[in-house]
Amino acid sequence: MAQPLVKKDDDRDDEEYSPFLGIEKGAVLQEARVFNDPQLDARRCSQVITKLLYLLNQGETFTKIEATEVFFSVTKLFQSRDIGLRRMVYLMIKELSPSADEVIIVTSSLMKDMNSKTDMYRANAIRVLCRITDGTLLTQIERYLKQAIVDKNPVVASAALVSGIHLLQTNPEIVKRWSNEVQEAVQSRAALVQFHALALLHQIRQNDRLAVSKLVTSLTRGSVRSPLAQCLLIRYTSQVIRESASNTQTGDRPFYDFLEGCLRHKAEMVIFEAARAITELNGVTTRELTPAITVLQLFLSSSKPVLRFAAVRTLNKVAMTHPMAVTNCNIDMESLISDQNRSIATLAITTLLKTGNESSVDRLMKQITNFMSDIADEFKIVVVEAIRSLCLKFPLKYRSLMNFLSNILREEGGFEYKKAIVDSIVILIRDIPDAKEGGLLHLCEFIEDCEFTYLSTQILHFLGIEGPKTSDPSKYIRYIYNRVHLENATVRASAVSTLAKFGAMVDSLKPRIFVLLRRCLYDSDDEVRDRATLYLNTLGGEGEVVETDKDAKEFLFGSLDVPLVNLETSLKAYVPSEEPFDIHSVPKEVKTQPLVEKKAPGKKPAGLGAPPSGPATTVDAYERLLSSVPEFSNFGKVFKSSAPVELTEAETEYAVNVVKHIFDRHVVFQYNCTNTIPEQLLENVIVIVDASDAEEFSEVASKPLRSLPYDSPGQTFVAFEKPEGVPAVGKFSNMLRFIVREVDPSTGEPEDDGVEDEYQLEDLEVVSADYVLKVGVSNFRNAWESMDPDDEKVDEYGLGPRENLTEAVNAVISLLGMQPCEGTEVVPSNSRSHTCLLSGVYIGNVKVLVRLQFGIDSQKEVAMKLAVRSDDVAVSEAIHDIVASG
Amino acid sequence: MLMAVLISNSVGNILVERFNGVPSEERLHWRSFLVKLGADNLQRASNEELFVASHKSVHIVYTVLGDVCIYIVGKDAYDELALAEVMFVITSLIKDACKKSPTERLFLDKYGKICLCLDEIFWKGIVENTNKERIKRLTRLKPPGEF
Repeated sequence: MAQPLVKKDDDRDDEEYSPFLGIEKGAVLQEARVFNDPQLDARRCSQVITKLLYLLNQGETFTKIEATEVFFSVTKLFQSRDIGLRRMVYLMIKELSPSADEVIIVTSSLMKDMNSKTDMYRANAIRVLCRITDGTLLTQIERYLKQAIVDKNPVVASAALVSGIHLLQTNPEIVKRWSNEVQEAVQSRAALVQFHALALLHQIRQNDRLAVSKLVTSLTRGSVRSPLAQCLLIRYTSQVIRESASNTQTGDRPFYDFLEGCLRHKAEMVIFEAARAITELNGVTTRELTPAITVLQLFLSSSKPVLRFAAVRTLNKVAMTHPMAVTNCNIDMESLISDQNRSIATLAITTLLKTGNESSVDRLMKQITNFMSDIADEFKIVVVEAIRSLCLKFPLKYRSLMNFLSNILREEGGFEYKKAIVDSIVILIRDIPDAKEGGLLHLCEFIEDCEFTYLSTQILHFLGIEGPKTSDPSKYIRYIYNRVHLENATVRASAVSTLAKFGAMVDSLKPRIFVLLRRCLYDSDDEVRDRATLYLNTLGGEGEVVETDKDAKEFLFGSLDVPLVNLETSLKAYVPSEEPFDIHSVPKEVKTQPLVEKKAPGKKPAGLGAPPSGPATTVDAYERLLSSVPEFSNFGKVFKSSAPVELTEAETEYAVNVVKHIFDRHVVFQYNCTNTIPEQLLENVIVIVDASDAEEFSEVASKPLRSLPYDSPGQTFVAFEKPEGVPAVGKFSNMLRFIVREVDPSTGEPEDDGVEDEYQLEDLEVVSADYVLKVGVSNFRNAWESMDPDDEKVDEYGLGPRENLTEAVNAVISLLGMQPCEGTEVVPSNSRSHTCLLSGVYIGNVKVLVRLQFGIDSQKEVAMKLAVRSDDVAVSEAIHDIVASG
Repeated sequence: MLMAVLISNSVGNILVERFNGVPSEERLHWRSFLVKLGADNLQRASNEELFVASHKSVHIVYTVLGDVCIYIVGKDAYDELALAEVMFVITSLIKDACKKSPTERLFLDKYGKICLCLDEIFWKGIVENTNKERIKRLTRLKPPGEF
């Protein structure tokens, strides 16, 4: 390399000099001027290109001017006949990805290469042209590309096919015209051409079920040469099987024989793909599974780590639905616990934890104990979660599993790992009553030496709720009070609250708690002192010891019935004045998260999880928007704003969705409109609503949108009056009416004359769920027990035949529009019964809690018992009415 | 889709990186995550021993070859087996280009050639070629042998 070699580190031997040491962008750009020399030095030019590639690969960026300059210089290199240099030039042009106005410079050279007699020039020119081209140029070269797809040289054909795969993303209409040529290429004798052609053909036809089915049928009968193509075929076949959903009762699943035949293919990747496809079949039977499990079992003892990993990963998934089918592999998997690749070992252990029976738990735990010391935290977390499920499966084994958890809790580990263990212990304490006292003591010992403030405070909170209910609450006091001496202010404040809870619940401990709380009055932190003062007053500590009244308990144990995020926003907006802050002014609605932020909806919440809360920004935005319309000023405060409901299909000319704002006596529909046609300007946009199927509603106001330019969303509103406090429901049909003015694309100026036009939108419904706010509670049991059992309304309902319990649970949750609590919306697979807990606030600010118990029989008939508690019996009855009429 | 191919030296400095479909703000995260994965597991690994990891639908196959560590990240259809296939062809081509297991110096000496090989193996997240002999000929603009 041209760069002088300088020794960069005395400790390194001389092998370690870097040819790029001290490389600097400015200098390389200077060097790139050699591309302009009249006598090109091909070797030197290649070296400079290598340096440019190195810079780009190091994350260096070129400014627009620099990139343009390099690009123009590189195009000069087409003059050279040096083959090595030409290959580098192709790569460099792709890396620089020139802008549309620069592409023209290189097009003619590439077009020349594309028609060259040298096949390799043709192949590379196709690859480069397709990567830098736009739609207009593509139409010009389309003829050559179609020829190239069926070129007898497989490299040229592959280049055109792969380019087609890339171009399908940007110019689908053009690429779809090539399907005859691609179809021909699928029959090619060259393995790679067949692979690329199959991939492209499937992408072209992926929305045409019949065509995909025909393709699969013909190819499964014929011979596919490349193992890669065979893998694709297996995937497409699984897709066809999934979509055909034919009767599997008779055992004649279409294409099963093909998949099973692939298990005897000579390429391992094909065998594995077929095995995995079989394990993922819907409602797969044990008979169908057996041959697939057998080959996966063989892979478990393969010398190739990738095969072992792939096999154990697949078996891990099978173990979730068919644990018995995997038990034959247990011995092979036990030997994988010592696999050097820790990912394989972890998967083996978690699979064994799923397939093991009660008698093997102790042996397994012994093996895991040795294994835990030498794996990273992220693997440990997976194991801890698997142990938690195992313990819930075999509650009698809680002693050894709880001991295991407490032992690993004492060892070194990061926050996430410790949190996973603590969460598991908390869940076991909640679900297995016998494990409670032991578990609480483990947690107490942990906080004696816990470096994580978050975990200490969460455990103290949990101790405050569960500790007083144990047989000997006094034994926990020492651990709690130690925190007041030894910890930071946050933990000290938590400890004070926990002490107060013990004082409130256990009258015999009260005098001693008062002594401890009084000592906290001299703490150096004001929050700790404030809390101690507050609790001493609440519990009556200043005078003589009296029985703690209901209000104090409600204050200490009741849940904060507003989402914390909303409270925070309201407090920030509160301006200090004569009027005190009113907590009832805080909106209670939990907003659903925007789509991009949604994460794993099925994931169970952690044991110590706080009640769900959401961003308050949407609430604020709606409030601001509604308050800007004078016609709505006397409607009062919004009770609930729904999530947007789409009234048009995706990719239509005008995109409209609607948000329903519910007030005490009014409903406002906010139509969010977007004009997706650049050549049009819409004016006086309004939605004409026909409310003839919504008898209790009468239209009182509407606010048109004056102007709706292209791609700049706007809102129009329609308001209705309805009877106060009544959950009126109804169906509304909508018509978008507007004046359309054509826009001159060159100037952007609209024409003077406009034409009135209409656009039919989907119907909209106001349903009962619109009158219920999703408001969570932090502890459902406490909240439930604090409501009067005499006002509970219970009834049973038949929900008819359902696919499974999950479907039934989701249907009732969305019907009621309430907040699922404690992760009970997730139904374990194959469950025959399930309890789901919901909470919410009914219109009129009435708190309501619902306990749903579901059962499913062998005919898939679902029965449900609905128990409702609320502060107002009428509301409980209303909830029953919603279910009865839904 | 092939989300990333990263080649680093033994102390984690990046020599080659190709991302596809990974937003630029997430690249730093991936870079440090992969280098840490290598530091945790590849220290005692033998040459070309494959390591595998996966999270949800994202798979990672990584290995050490002489002084360089190679990481490949794929998702969906690009599962561990497909990635292993790509890894196999990358390692054999690097060995051939450097004539033996590469030191960092040898790797950088053959940097241009290695870039050309990678260009033939994959582009923008799609694998194009996995046949070593063929790729070697294509990087010299020679038609493949079987043709």
